[in-house]
Amino acid sequence: MKSYTRRAALAATGAAGMGAALAACAPPNPGNVNAEAAIPPSDGPVTVSYWAWLKDLQKVADVFNASQDRITVETTWIPGGNSGGYAKILSAVAAGGGPDIAQVELRQVPEFALAGAIVDLTRYGFAEQADAYDPGALAQVKVGDSYWAVPQDTGPVATFYNREVLEDELGLKPPATWDEFRETAAAVSEAGKNLISLDPSDGSHPIAWAMQSGAVWFRPEGDGWIIDMTDDASIRMAEFWDGILADKIIGTGYGSYTTPWYAAAGDGTVLASISGSWSDALNETVPGGSGKWAVAPMPRWDDGYASGGHGGSSAAVLSTSKHPVEALEFLTWMCTDPAGIDAMIEFSGIGWSPAKDYIGEIRQQPSEFFSGQNYNEEIIVPMAEGQNLDWTWAPMMQRAQAIIGDGMTKAVSGEVPLVDMFANSQKEIVKIMRDMGLDAEEAR
Amino acid sequence: MRSRTAPWVLLAPFLVVFIGTMIVPIFMAIGYSFTSVTRSGLLGEGGLTNSFAWFDNYVAALTNANFVASIGRMILFGIVQVTVMIVAATVLALLLESASAKWPGFFRATYFLPYGIPGVIATILWSFLYIPGLSPIVDVLGAVGINIDFLGPNMVLWSIANIVTWTYTGYNMLIIIAQLKSIPGELYEAAKLDGASSLRVARSIQLPLIRPALMLTVIFSIIGTLQLFAEPRLLQTMSAGITSEYTPNMSAYAFAFQYNDIGMAAAQSVIIAVAAFLLSAIALGVSNWMEKRG
Repeated sequence: MKSYTRRAALAATGAAGMGAALAACAPPNPGNVNAEAAIPPSDGPVTVSYWAWLKDLQKVADVFNASQDRITVETTWIPGGNSGGYAKILSAVAAGGGPDIAQVELRQVPEFALAGAIVDLTRYGFAEQADAYDPGALAQVKVGDSYWAVPQDTGPVATFYNREVLEDELGLKPPATWDEFRETAAAVSEAGKNLISLDPSDGSHPIAWAMQSGAVWFRPEGDGWIIDMTDDASIRMAEFWDGILADKIIGTGYGSYTTPWYAAAGDGTVLASISGSWSDALNETVPGGSGKWAVAPMPRWDDGYASGGHGGSSAAVLSTSKHPVEALEFLTWMCTDPAGIDAMIEFSGIGWSPAKDYIGEIRQQPSEFFSGQNYNEEIIVPMAEGQNLDWTWAPMMQRAQAIIGDGMTKAVSGEVPLVDMFANSQKEIVKIMRDMGLDAEEAR
Repeated sequence: MRSRTAPWVLLAPFLVVFIGTMIVPIFMAIGYSFTSVTRSGLLGEGGLTNSFAWFDNYVAALTNANFVASIGRMILFGIVQVTVMIVAATVLALLLESASAKWPGFFRATYFLPYGIPGVIATILWSFLYIPGLSPIVDVLGAVGINIDFLGPNMVLWSIANIVTWTYTGYNMLIIIAQLKSIPGELYEAAKLDGASSLRVARSIQLPLIRPALMLTVIFSIIGTLQLFAEPRLLQTMSAGITSEYTPNMSAYAFAFQYNDIGMAAAQSVIIAVAAFLLSAIALGVSNWMEKRG
């Protein structure tokens, strides 16, 4: 009897473990919510939950909550996407729970759509209100004919530079073209400083350069994807940066707005960052930088676009949401109503406004930090208007960006030039997409 | 009967949590590692198929250049770092246990102290000593003409090794000291009567007798090396040399939570676990073989 008890307990333990293992043999997935009927609006009051890593988002929601009494929005702070936020969102959705709305970076939206984690907003009439959004923001949440999320902020690329050192000390100007960039970087390098410093393993910069140059790396066509990373627009960009890296005229040890970058920027040994408009808030924490920095347009090619997109995020309605209509109603207010935009800027410090024709009230004034320049209206507005609207994010951007980052790292060490890296990456990305079951092919 | 059920009742709270958070996830991970998910249509509108993939994920993991490179990197790291750390721990333990040691209690506590600092905090502290422009070490070395970039692609692995060594040397030292304390005093007396020097005592008495403790620390360190995650993941934001699949665990993390490929992540995790098991078994086997031969 005694030994029976122990054996039974052990057997029960083992059986429970095995049973769970067998039952769980397939990873959980949320199913296909976008094939089901749309959920009608609620009759009574509704509480909508929102997970995001924007700071003080509840204060933005409170402004909305005070403006009407039908919908109450509750926000919960989560870690930034790759720091654990995405793991949390995807796990919650897989388990059938989670909030109604979640913050998703713009480039991740198709990946979340592919994972079955978000609702196709076209089914809830998003296309009819598309005119209220900045086209550059809207283009980044669209795949084919479907809108998958509400753009919440964007990052049109501009040049943030140390005016005092670059202009007053070295007698140079912020480069307007990429040819000038090369000359300026060489001159700054000659003076023992770096114009910019890149983290080569961060693939987001080459992607923004390609967007600006006019490339469309991932093109949806019918039910499949065309991957085209070797067109003229991509190759001229690759050749240009191969030259820059070969000349070793920029820093490649660390990226913008990292601890070492701040230390160097404070010393005046790194002079600029060519990055998304959200850089302004980060830049303002450069020690002793007030009044010395300024903003200039992104250096550009003769043709192509004025700027590229760098970062920015969206608010996606999750597939487990019971109240997609109400969630979308709140998001429409937050991302198009001037009161929503101003609240997001004031409390959450968002990047560039996703609304059409409204950049936010406090962004219409000159900035003390950036040498008294009214940089938002003068510089960022044209950058936001000059985006590559044909660009579409692939449903495996995280991985594609890691591949580009690895490729950049190899280009910096001189192993494989970018020109070859793009051709190799194109093959690799096609293979990965096919392994995922997608119909993908290289452009001819 | 009652006395037989009592332990189970008392164990139940532990067992429920242990089985739920350790045993079940292990079986689930093994299960996932044999499945693959494919989607059709532009963004999966065509539906999704879960299929039994046999060993496809394992083949894909072992032919993935980044994953293989990360394992190679950890083997190199382990050979150098574990050796340095175990030698340092042994030397410190022997010195502190030698008759002429001054304030052994104080120094034992001091050497052990870094272990009390969580790896994440230790990495942040050390990163300030690595970053050019902030680090006094870089400044002083630069002043005497040595320009070193602790966070550069070739150096950063050893900068991580330094953090790990700093954290765990004292801990391993303590395990060895515990074993040294169990050596009977008569052995030392006999050695003294025979006129053995301190070095001779260390070589002929102490080292052979602390072999089990050394083995334990080596195995723990091998397992720890394969699981390296927090330190490189934190330094990633400061160093251009660390890619998203730098260590095997970072690779599994990336596949699970960034690339949303659970099957591949599970296969990589299983490979890491099996590799840790095999390496530990080899270490144990080598030790036994040497003991028999010696």
